[in-house]
Amino acid sequence: MLDRRQIMTAALTLGAMHAFPGLSKAQARRLVFATFTGSWEEAHRDVLVPAYRKATNNAEIALDPMLSVDQIAKVTAARANPPIDVMLHDPGPALVAIAQDLVEAYPVAQSAYYKDLISDAQVDTGPAPFFQVVGITYNPEKIKTPPTSWKDIWDPKYKGRVGITNLNSTLGTGWLVEIARMNGGSEKDVSAGFKALEDLKPNLGAVAANPGQLATLYQQGQVDIGPGNFNAIQILKARGVPVEFVAPKEGAIAFKTTIHIVKNTPNKELAFKLIEASLSPEVQGKLMDSPYLIFPTNTKVKMGGEVAKVLAADHAEMKKKFVFQDWAEINKQRSAWIEKFNRDIKI
Amino acid sequence: MAGAFPAVTRYDMRLAAPLAGFYLLFFIAPLVLLAIVSLYADVEMKSFSLAQYVRFLFDPFSLSVLASTLWLGLKVTALCLVLGYPLAWVFTRSPKWAQGVLIIVIILPLLTSVVVRTFAWIVILGRQGIVNNLLLSLGVADTPLRLLYTDGGVVVALAQVQMPLMVLPLITAISRIDPNMLDASSALGAGAWRSFFKVTLPLSLPGILAGCLLTFAAAITAFITQSLVGGGQMLFMPMYLYQQASTLSNWPFAAAISIIFLVAVLACVTLFNVLGRLARGHVQA
Repeated sequence: MLDRRQIMTAALTLGAMHAFPGLSKAQARRLVFATFTGSWEEAHRDVLVPAYRKATNNAEIALDPMLSVDQIAKVTAARANPPIDVMLHDPGPALVAIAQDLVEAYPVAQSAYYKDLISDAQVDTGPAPFFQVVGITYNPEKIKTPPTSWKDIWDPKYKGRVGITNLNSTLGTGWLVEIARMNGGSEKDVSAGFKALEDLKPNLGAVAANPGQLATLYQQGQVDIGPGNFNAIQILKARGVPVEFVAPKEGAIAFKTTIHIVKNTPNKELAFKLIEASLSPEVQGKLMDSPYLIFPTNTKVKMGGEVAKVLAADHAEMKKKFVFQDWAEINKQRSAWIEKFNRDIKI
Repeated sequence: MAGAFPAVTRYDMRLAAPLAGFYLLFFIAPLVLLAIVSLYADVEMKSFSLAQYVRFLFDPFSLSVLASTLWLGLKVTALCLVLGYPLAWVFTRSPKWAQGVLIIVIILPLLTSVVVRTFAWIVILGRQGIVNNLLLSLGVADTPLRLLYTDGGVVVALAQVQMPLMVLPLITAISRIDPNMLDASSALGAGAWRSFFKVTLPLSLPGILAGCLLTFAAAITAFITQSLVGGGQMLFMPMYLYQQASTLSNWPFAAAISIIFLVAVLACVTLFNVLGRLARGHVQA
């Protein structure tokens, strides 16, 4: 019986051998880091890459920005000789990559910084170099009193002005879980969340296909309020779009973004050094500053600037203000929720 | 003697071998893989069954996604035909210099990226977009209309994006019509409309069918335009497929959706072709 791995391997080997005969010999290549697209790539190119070069005596590195799901697809297609050495994942896809045996355990004992990370960031399959934070985004030109609670989004005065994303994104799924929790549900049962979405329909102005599209809707004036990613908002703000971010009193949703050494990588040592650099207080401190404003996970980094003002002044306050979700539980039912969303949410 | 030299009009089939090999490797083989993957019963790909097809074909929701995708294709094709035919007709009647200008206008959309063209539609259809601003300033509407993320918005945007695929075959077909035919028609007493319906339209049928085929196929598979202008709650087959394959890593179901979509599209194409053959018979008769 053929399984997926055999079919993939056979097809790819066949294809690759015909197209690139040189491939059959293993070759040493530079480190490839699959970061995320857009501002993440910019931040990593400007801060992380120079730090890595310094630590490795100018070793070569290539950034290959792509979505989590694409990283998984690419590595799955070539397990024995993966084209990527270091992956970056949102919590949902990270668990998929781990379940499919695509990542190497992080050599915690050798790490200089692992022990300094806050406990939520200490994951031995791949530590979290930063968090993504989801709160309320709004247009201050249209909405004069800043919202304070997720519940404000249901206010009838925002009829047709609310924008959300569907459940394809971490943002959409995480938010559904959060509003379910707010109404008595949990990661195991989001029916209360769907009930709340149903009640939100009169207010819904748009359901975007992805977070990037949602951001452009603020720019176009199509929507004025909704859940949004802190870092995505900063990009818009920097371009002069009237948007503000507030952490709701129920707590902002925090997603661990984890960084992983890919199994079977030929560059294991360099991959480790890159991840070490990403955990170091120097790099995380720089990334926390403007214009990146990326939330640090190393407790040695002293919070400052916009991050301290809007999100949390220190890691103790962060523990109180952030809400973490159980993505192992979420992943179990995510496909059923997506299906329900497909069927029920029509505006 | 005749046997010694191969006929000059006969080409050696071996000349097609490189292309055939290319297709075999990069088209047929992946397609076969896709068909195999669609036959797995579960996400872990352990056992084979027709479960994925049963899931799709007996699920009213999935069938409604397929139906709305094909329906979208029909609407876009009809709109392209209605707007594209006069354009193609005007093109063939224009002097040479005007044709040069027109062809650039027609082809221009093909030279810009689909993403750029689609983004322009977001700007046009948005709440503070060109259409809404015009309606508000004219006093036709009191509050901005919801144009973006609606069915009508998707149809209009797709029609503009795919228009060259309709107009170019039409131009070819219409310009091949012998002008003497129309002269003969009017000499025999037919008016302009009668000449059009009895002569021009039937003779341009092959172009109409080719254009419809291209527009239809492009419209139903236009993932970018569908999702950017349609938004996250309008589900068409390409997005359904992406959701299952990418977000949920459910490859067998995604593969089954692809195969079903492929078969549905092939059925439509066959229908167009049959119509085309009938039309040619009609023209020659």
